[in-house]
Amino acid sequence: MKATTSIADTSFGYRVSVFADRRFKYLLVWPAVLILLLVAIFPLINLLIVSFQDISIIGENKTFQGGLNYGRLFEDARLWQSIWHTLAFTAVALPAELILGLLLALLFVDRMPGRGIFVALLIIPTVISPIVAGAMWRLMLDTQFGPVNQILGWIVGGPVDITWTVDRAFVWPAIFITEVWQWTPFMFLLLLAALSNVDKSQIEAAQIDGASGLRIFFKIVLPAIKPVLAIVLLIRGLDLFRLFDIVWALTKGGPGTTTETISLYAFVLGFQQFETSYTAAIAFVVIVLLSIIVILALRRVELAR
Amino acid sequence: MARVRLNNIEKFYGELHAVRGISLDIPEGEFTVIVGPSGCGKSTLLRALAGLEEIDAGTIEIGDEVVNDMAPRDRNIAMVFQNYALYPYMNVYDNIAFGLRARKFPSNEIETRVHQAADMLGITDQLDRLPRQLSGGQRQRVAIGRAIVRDARVFLFDEPLSNLDAKLREEMRVEIKRLHQDLGKTMVYVTHDQIEAMTLADRIVLLRNGKIEQEGAPLDMFERPVSRFVAGFLGSPSMNFIPARLAAENGQINVAFSDGLSLPMPSDRVSGLEPGREVVFGVRTEHITRDRGANGRAGLASLRVKIDLIQPTGTRTYATFQLAGEPVMAELEAHDVERPGEQLSLFFDMNRIVLIDPETDLVIQ
Repeated sequence: MKATTSIADTSFGYRVSVFADRRFKYLLVWPAVLILLLVAIFPLINLLIVSFQDISIIGENKTFQGGLNYGRLFEDARLWQSIWHTLAFTAVALPAELILGLLLALLFVDRMPGRGIFVALLIIPTVISPIVAGAMWRLMLDTQFGPVNQILGWIVGGPVDITWTVDRAFVWPAIFITEVWQWTPFMFLLLLAALSNVDKSQIEAAQIDGASGLRIFFKIVLPAIKPVLAIVLLIRGLDLFRLFDIVWALTKGGPGTTTETISLYAFVLGFQQFETSYTAAIAFVVIVLLSIIVILALRRVELAR
Repeated sequence: MARVRLNNIEKFYGELHAVRGISLDIPEGEFTVIVGPSGCGKSTLLRALAGLEEIDAGTIEIGDEVVNDMAPRDRNIAMVFQNYALYPYMNVYDNIAFGLRARKFPSNEIETRVHQAADMLGITDQLDRLPRQLSGGQRQRVAIGRAIVRDARVFLFDEPLSNLDAKLREEMRVEIKRLHQDLGKTMVYVTHDQIEAMTLADRIVLLRNGKIEQEGAPLDMFERPVSRFVAGFLGSPSMNFIPARLAAENGQINVAFSDGLSLPMPSDRVSGLEPGREVVFGVRTEHITRDRGANGRAGLASLRVKIDLIQPTGTRTYATFQLAGEPVMAELEAHDVERPGEQLSLFFDMNRIVLIDPETDLVIQ
């Protein structure tokens, strides 16, 4: 009798726990789902709706406009220029940050005295807000009072008065310097972690096997850090595609539209010229493009594993 | 092939004196096992030999050249690591070929050699697999393959079997021993496992706290340990140690225990033994046998004890009893004792026991 009860008890308890488990996990998930709906899905749907209307500073026409705004995309030379700026800058800055970050990480991967302090100091730029970094570099690059021109002056032995944030030849380098200064440490930190995780005995085995330093790097170390490499490239690539703060702080897209990125152009269109529907169309296209890139990239990372 | 010579090697890790003046001469073609408890400096010594660790004093010679300042790859050695250290993104073939490619061997030569090595180790059908698709034993074979594919002068093994389960470990032990017999290369093998040391070695070097405690042929060391440490380290189960005192009685010398029992020393083993001296009495489990009443060989001394714990293994039965308050284990025949609590007469083979000075821990007799 006692045995039967105990079996009934456990099976009942078991069923309760399974039931509770099934329900409970949904209970736990719904706040996250709600927030996601609120801040991502609904705005996205609204964005899509607005992009098919005709809302601008002139007036609100909330009827369906078909491909009106999307048609404009193709004729907007300033849009294509801003996309070109964004892509070209990403193509230059991303490898630069990666290579610099990797070199720094290789330098600091071995234990040495003062390593902790140096690593901590190197990380500082990344924890600063980009808009602050931009403002700081505007001061650094100031034509008259900035230390950069002064130091260059000492090197060449005469006064240097480069107008970093105005001169067409120097605005992109100015943005490049700031961007690389701020985000190389991010690459450095993640790559340092990846390098520290490379199995030391594999490297030792390769040394004994007779491999040179370069061979060990390319055959042993690089394949080992490849997954992390892919992830940092993806994160920084997306960030660079959304490049805004640093440019805004340094040049506001100028002179003219020389340094206008896609984010900057969308901002100007949407919040200064109030071309709401057209901006929505641009934003939607950008979101779709980036999503495709992320999905493809993630799939490759999955395959690489 | 080459002989290896270590002269007064010293190694510090900060405050820690890991290797304290070790000198060692390893003749060409010999299988030397460096054994000792963890932290005794054995791995450091091997890594120093490989060039992975710099030494603070002394010289290392391989062949007839001093290799102190030589990079690992120029020492022409091969090493098998504890965790295999296979290159995870290369298949077995590329793993084994890696060293040959790095040393710019012609490609047809690489192919013949890799296949030869794979044949020797029975991994030919796994050549295009990745390391993670292999079992522990297969990985260990690949690691060994990577070592033997080059004509290295010296082979180094850093606890190569400690990640394998017991059965596989025995299997690989046989294979490594056979490999040494076939290749005839100088091999230096580091382990903390005394059974590996005993079974594999031409010569055992037993380290303790960065110094050589004793070196010699396995059976020599087993039968003639110089110290309590060596006596206790080699052999499984370990030797029993019981504190005792030497006592003179009727012209012979007895080993007397604190509980009144005593065992007579054979007359040919009493020189230099002063009565009254404190000693530690050491006896291996297999040198305590059942006294079946018949008069045994000379030197067998009988003692009546009460067994309080038995552990049958099938072939033998380990029986534990108390002597002078210390648990003592005897390795008896399977059916010598059936249950705990039995009273039994046991023979102690006094020709094989050791007497140790409790002050210095050195063996006196």
